[in-house]
Amino acid sequence: MTTQAPPQPPATSPAPPPKPAPRGKYTGAEPNKLFWILLAAPGIIWLVILFVVPFYAVLAIGEGKLNTQTHAPVAVYNPFGWSSANLSNVLHDIFGAQAFVGPTVLTTIWYVAAASILSLLIAYPAAYFVARFAGRRKGLFLVLLVAPFWISYMMRMLAWIDLLQTNGYVNKVWSFIGLGSPNWLGGHSYTVILGLVYGYIPYLILVLYAGLDRIDPSLLEAGRDLGLSRVSTFWRVTLPLSRQPILTGMLITVLPMLGDFYTNQLLSGAPATAMIGNVIQGQLTTPFAAGQGAILSLIVLLVLIGPMIYYVVATNRTSQAAS
Amino acid sequence: MHPREGWQPDGTRRVPDLSRRQALKRGLAATILAGGGASLLDACAPYLVGPTNVPLPRPTNPVRWPTTDNAKIADGLQPETGATLQVYNWVAYINQAVVNSFAKKYNCKVQITTFNTMDEALSKLNSGLKFDVFMGVTVDTLGPLIASKLIQPLNHRYIPNITQAWPDFTNPFYDQGWQYTVPYTIYTTGIAWRKDLVDLNPYAMRNPWREMFFQPRYRGKIAILDDYRESPSLALMMNNIYNLNTTSRVQIDLARQTLQDLDKAVNLRIDNNDYTEVPTGQTWIHHAWSGDMAAAASYMPKGVNVDVVGYWFPTDGKGPIANDTNTVLRSASNPVLAHLFVNYLMDENVALNNISYNGYMQPITAITPEVLVKEQILPRSLTSTAVLPEDFRRGLGELQLPADADALWQQAWLVVSEGM
Amino acid sequence: MTGTLLKAKTSGPGTAGTRPRLFRNPWRHPWFLEGFTWLYLVWSLAPIVVAVLFSFNNGKSQSAFQGLSVRWYWGDKVNSIWYNPQLHSAIFQTLKLSALTTLIAVPVGVAFALGINKWRGKIPGGFNFLMILSFVVPELIFGVALYFIFTQMPGLRGVGLGTLAEVLGLVSWNLSWPAIIVQARLVTIGKQYEEASADLGCTHMQTLRRVMLPLLMPAIFASAILVFSGVIDDFVVVDLLSSNGSTQPMSVIIYSTVHGGNNGPALNALATVMLLMSFIVALLGFAGYRLMTRGQRIDNRQTLTAITGSD
Repeated sequence: MTTQAPPQPPATSPAPPPKPAPRGKYTGAEPNKLFWILLAAPGIIWLVILFVVPFYAVLAIGEGKLNTQTHAPVAVYNPFGWSSANLSNVLHDIFGAQAFVGPTVLTTIWYVAAASILSLLIAYPAAYFVARFAGRRKGLFLVLLVAPFWISYMMRMLAWIDLLQTNGYVNKVWSFIGLGSPNWLGGHSYTVILGLVYGYIPYLILVLYAGLDRIDPSLLEAGRDLGLSRVSTFWRVTLPLSRQPILTGMLITVLPMLGDFYTNQLLSGAPATAMIGNVIQGQLTTPFAAGQGAILSLIVLLVLIGPMIYYVVATNRTSQAAS
Repeated sequence: MHPREGWQPDGTRRVPDLSRRQALKRGLAATILAGGGASLLDACAPYLVGPTNVPLPRPTNPVRWPTTDNAKIADGLQPETGATLQVYNWVAYINQAVVNSFAKKYNCKVQITTFNTMDEALSKLNSGLKFDVFMGVTVDTLGPLIASKLIQPLNHRYIPNITQAWPDFTNPFYDQGWQYTVPYTIYTTGIAWRKDLVDLNPYAMRNPWREMFFQPRYRGKIAILDDYRESPSLALMMNNIYNLNTTSRVQIDLARQTLQDLDKAVNLRIDNNDYTEVPTGQTWIHHAWSGDMAAAASYMPKGVNVDVVGYWFPTDGKGPIANDTNTVLRSASNPVLAHLFVNYLMDENVALNNISYNGYMQPITAITPEVLVKEQILPRSLTSTAVLPEDFRRGLGELQLPADADALWQQAWLVVSEGM
Repeated sequence: MTGTLLKAKTSGPGTAGTRPRLFRNPWRHPWFLEGFTWLYLVWSLAPIVVAVLFSFNNGKSQSAFQGLSVRWYWGDKVNSIWYNPQLHSAIFQTLKLSALTTLIAVPVGVAFALGINKWRGKIPGGFNFLMILSFVVPELIFGVALYFIFTQMPGLRGVGLGTLAEVLGLVSWNLSWPAIIVQARLVTIGKQYEEASADLGCTHMQTLRRVMLPLLMPAIFASAILVFSGVIDDFVVVDLLSSNGSTQPMSVIIYSTVHGGNNGPALNALATVMLLMSFIVALLGFAGYRLMTRGQRIDNRQTLTAITGSD
């Protein structure tokens, strides 16, 4: 394989065209892109047909009509036939005089923020322990950590509802400690937040574990050798190294949490604790408001795009730094 | 104008639409200046599509549905052999034992598919799914079903058991001549409460609908039903309005406002789990369906007697009452078996077996409350959940609304249930 | 070793805040952390134990224990899993959906991840962004949109509802798992293995088969498990796309029963069966992985850590 070493070209003349890659041979300098494109093709086609197209359909529903006989929304595919009735209704619901969605948005932000911070505070120490100190029992801990994935989320929630009844076992323990008998299922924000944490924390723990496990222990030893205390080692070595896992973990917990509706439905049932997911679900299952539900969900999606871009950019930066 | 009319949650007052008489009284110019808001229909006109002249069945306006282009099956056909009867029903609304005995009797298989809401069922049927029997159809859905030609007229020859049902149902107002439906269950909507945990007596109250729910001292222990007709109707009755099919925007707004006030006062919960929550004591006062509470005995925790559960329904019968129906779908591939199935469910013994499972009464003449108590299906303390023919005739029905009024109700309920 | 560390602790830079009052072994076992982890595990797993326990309940209640029995598994002639045909078809449908979805989603997702990673530029970046977007979209919207296009949109209307629609929907929903996980792994692996194999004269196909895929096996495996368990648990998309009783899997039955009626502990029995099935699948996968990587690893622990992608 010969490579041309072009003489120093003057700034104005174009660079000589690169030698075409020999077919079937990986040259290292210019990979044959076609192969990779073909590899990614099935996924891309799938995405376009079964993800992009449905999204256009959501938009068409949002800008469409309602058939009063079949109680079903009618999609209007031609952009020129779109009516903005639903959009103005939704904006009115969020910002207008009788806004009822506005408070729900605030509730959602507060619940998700509290739930994510709490999840991180619980998941990180547990993941750290299993990654660094579990020793021979690592297998056992891993199996136990993964177990929640194997049983239906519904059943775990049902079991919780059962345990949280006013005369259930949780209150039996709680009053034994002397903390009284709170009405857990009486429509309270703390129950919903705890429910959110419970539902999403297994994913966070696994991601954190995978990331923390990869941290080279010799780096920590080096920190100690240089005279850092335990706390400083953690702060200056471990935490920065776990930045990427934390970021990924937050992505897969916070963003889905914003669309969650069943946690509130199961554990509270009170309109005072409704999240934006509940509003969307209520609208989508009410024929008259299905168009508004479509628009609201597109707005939520737009809001989610911001953090996502941040994640992608941050990840790219990390991968560039690593390679 | 009622003092409560027109107040908005943000404290402003919006003048509601004036009635024709009031407009004339005030003079036309004054009316225009007063700025009655544009009617919802105008705003919605480009948004709603579909037929505009849909008959709305009422007790005072009985409807005989058309059967043109919709023929019933011929007489004297044999039931299909080796078939699987496809039944489309609510969740847990029929006793599996009853289904099994039907399958054994007619030598067929039965597959039950469930739906969660009537709208979901309507949507899936319109999208082309095929079933044989469509059960638990609410009366307000019959119009759209028949207009979309989704159900077929019944051939009465296959359904002799109709004679066992209450005579009212051979010519109900919502389906004169019982062309498309047979009755399935009959139920009232009332208030369930725990007599041992709450010291209230609804029988001694002037307006129990209001006084049982507006109880701040039981904050967090009060719930209403998750239904866009039932709960706003509750709010209407709290305000002494007994037309549960009102199309008045003012009244619907009032209902919404009342429910929001209730939420602020008692941290209201909204769910349909009255049948478990009242027996276990998780909720102390629940807006409830009679059938759910009739089955309370099977959900009582150990050591707690079912006597502590009470169910109140107005003694003068002025409360919500409804009946569900069974129909045969036009897409049925086993129509004869379908007819035999709906017939089977009206047999007295089969009905008793069914009631013992889901608690909901069926309007079979031979099944009186005394019979239910004797068969130990209904505890004596809960005979208030039983429905009598007189109740059906004088009760308030939540019936089919015109499309724009329906939209108002749905919107009002959405605001209440999903946001504060 | 400890001695030098102690000395380092009392002098030199960075020790301003540390004072070894007692002899404290800095490498001691962190009992607090361990206790914390156990507490978390109890909190996480207690409901599972309760749910499984109530599946053996003698009575109809799900909150008051009324004695041990297997009536919900095979005892009750009407409502137990063994006798209720609705529950049979639910179990089969769950298995069918999980298997089909995993078999389609994992290869397509892995291929996508590999392709996008090597094909650099703005266009693949855009597709990658779409893939991540498909991960964060609330499932309800996605399900409603799919329901709509499968029943009404000209062109895709022929799909209708049923198992085909369910599989298409589930694959689309879960495609992002393998795509994201494998991509993350590719990023940490780096380019040196490919370049080495290229220097040795391999074609793309050979590099893929003999170098990349074995390296990515842990990530592929992890994503397969996530897809499988995700499908078993999914009720939003599947409920919307189901056609009749035979296409309603266990998750949908549990969800609708929670909302509408109550079949009692038969539900718990169903969930326990689901738990067992997932466990068996995970065990099979574990054994399969050991088989595939025999000669390359030392013990179980290494296998486990490899599977979770931490090497």
